[in-house]
Amino acid sequence: MINVVYSTEHWIVPRIVMGVLVVLLLAIIITEGRARVSEGGSFLAKPGRFFIDGYDKVKLWGTLILFAGYIFVIDKVGFTVTSMIFVLLFNLLYAGLGKKQVLVSVIIAIVAPLIISIMFGVVFNITLPKGMCSITFVDYGFTIY
Amino acid sequence: MITITKLLVAILGVVVGIVFGAIPGMTATMAVAVFLPLTYAYDLETALWLLLALYVGGISGGLIPAILINIPGTPSSITTTFDGYPMAKRGEGERALKTGIVSSFIGGMISLVALWLFTPILSSAALKFSSVEKFLIILFALTVIAALSKGQMLRGIFAGFLGVLVTLANSFSVNNQYRMVPAFLKSKMSDGFQLLPCLIGLFAIAQIFEEAEEGMNFKIQKTDSELEGDVKFSLSDFKGQGVNVIRSSLIGTFMGVLPGVGGSAASILAYAQAKNFSKHPELLGTGVPEGLIASESSNNGLTGGALIPLLSLGIPGDSTTAVLISAFMLQGIQVGPLFITQNPHTWNTILVALLAANIIMFLVMFFPIKLISKIIYIPRTRLYPVIIMICIVGAYATKNGRIFDVWALLIFGILGYIFGKIKIPASCFLIGFILGDDLENYFIQSISAANGSLTVFFTRPIGWVIWLLIIASVAYAIWDDRKDKKKKAAAK
Repeated sequence: MINVVYSTEHWIVPRIVMGVLVVLLLAIIITEGRARVSEGGSFLAKPGRFFIDGYDKVKLWGTLILFAGYIFVIDKVGFTVTSMIFVLLFNLLYAGLGKKQVLVSVIIAIVAPLIISIMFGVVFNITLPKGMCSITFVDYGFTIY
Repeated sequence: MITITKLLVAILGVVVGIVFGAIPGMTATMAVAVFLPLTYAYDLETALWLLLALYVGGISGGLIPAILINIPGTPSSITTTFDGYPMAKRGEGERALKTGIVSSFIGGMISLVALWLFTPILSSAALKFSSVEKFLIILFALTVIAALSKGQMLRGIFAGFLGVLVTLANSFSVNNQYRMVPAFLKSKMSDGFQLLPCLIGLFAIAQIFEEAEEGMNFKIQKTDSELEGDVKFSLSDFKGQGVNVIRSSLIGTFMGVLPGVGGSAASILAYAQAKNFSKHPELLGTGVPEGLIASESSNNGLTGGALIPLLSLGIPGDSTTAVLISAFMLQGIQVGPLFITQNPHTWNTILVALLAANIIMFLVMFFPIKLISKIIYIPRTRLYPVIIMICIVGAYATKNGRIFDVWALLIFGILGYIFGKIKIPASCFLIGFILGDDLENYFIQSISAANGSLTVFFTRPIGWVIWLLIIASVAYAIWDDRKDKKKKAAAK
């Protein structure tokens, strides 16, 4: 029996799901622990390393930091300019700082955000993040975000 | 109505899909997810043309790198490498590619016929469903995904329910009370996390984190294989392969119907069956068209199959059709048993668009294959920054411009990356996330109607059938797991 009471019914299913999750978690720990014991290991797994051996610290954490920075800045500065800056930074991060690489990065960083900004923002009229570098052309009725 | 616009978006969709499918590590799911925001600008019909074209293109593109450089472009083309790459090494690259393309086309067409025939039947059966059966069928969807996640059953079910829990962090539609939402987010989360940021995060952003960790040092050797050979493609390669093509396509379609199974399981099964029934099983894996045909017709057979449960029950067959659900939601259309009778026009559009997508895929890939196959050399280091930008556009536009959804995108990206580390299947999580709201509503409706009694779930005959299916799927998983373990033990 489950009493459905209007004021508390929003908690019925979440509580059941939490209960199911706890049971499943225990089941996973027990079955996998027993499998390890039967293979001659210990019940609890040794915590392995989270990152792969010799992982690329710069690229991984760089991606995370740039991503967060991108979101943080985008609705203050505006889509197009922010994207140019961060697409450039991402390109430099991934492709390296060789002379030719930087040139390609700069070209992509200028062209790609412009195409996306015009295609989505102007042609398809999809809302993009607006900020201080966004320009509205009142006479022509469109905005470069 | 077929218009120029629709044909153009379909060609665009197929080409973009092929690019995503052909670049190893990028998938059809990613293609559909990344381009979903573009559909905001279109009406439902045009949007469907675009999405289905992306879907078909994305699944098909995977055969190119599988054959030419022995790296499957999408998980479902793993078995394509078995025979495709040996053929390419012998200088039969073009023959292999064209055999793959023709098989893909036939597989797509057969699954289209299955979709056309079976969806109305399944829908009319599902019309008799009350909230009890609807609840049980979602429960079935959650167990069957897990049953097929190979030895990961418990983790799969866990992931599914975790998805349910996360999607329930919102305000409940009946009494408008919040649960699991911190006070400072209440204004943003009345309807919880949005599907689109969750999906792009799990399947696109997580992937970028993973590859960033690995350093993104992928150099593809251009001399790896040979496209210029004397052996040309001819349709006589398909002589005596009729049964193989049809069997493999149907395996793909059937596996597509089961929620969350995905292309790799379908093509592996089809390949194994082709080997079982072959007159020369020893030749498979050395570069014969037979294996290639089995693999490619099954993974395109998946496309129509995965749409069957989506359109008749409202349950996505794979992660790519999960994206399609959100496309329907965005256009205000509820998929489920009533979909076909209420939207006969949209149903026809889907069939025509899928047909067109398959034909366009064939034309775009078959003739200029030498040109198209250069796609695999596009460096991902240059594509990922642009993809991140497009993902942000998509997430931001989800609710017509909220930065909260972009933060959610990053959060789900990190979550997907962690899932990969602790072996929690993201596709199971996603299916739980999509179905969670319905699961709760049908459960509450069922027990409210029965005055709180739980026996309501066991008293209806259709319900018994679904219970049987649930038990069968779990039993199958346990049996399959044991069999695998015994095999492993025997191998030692």
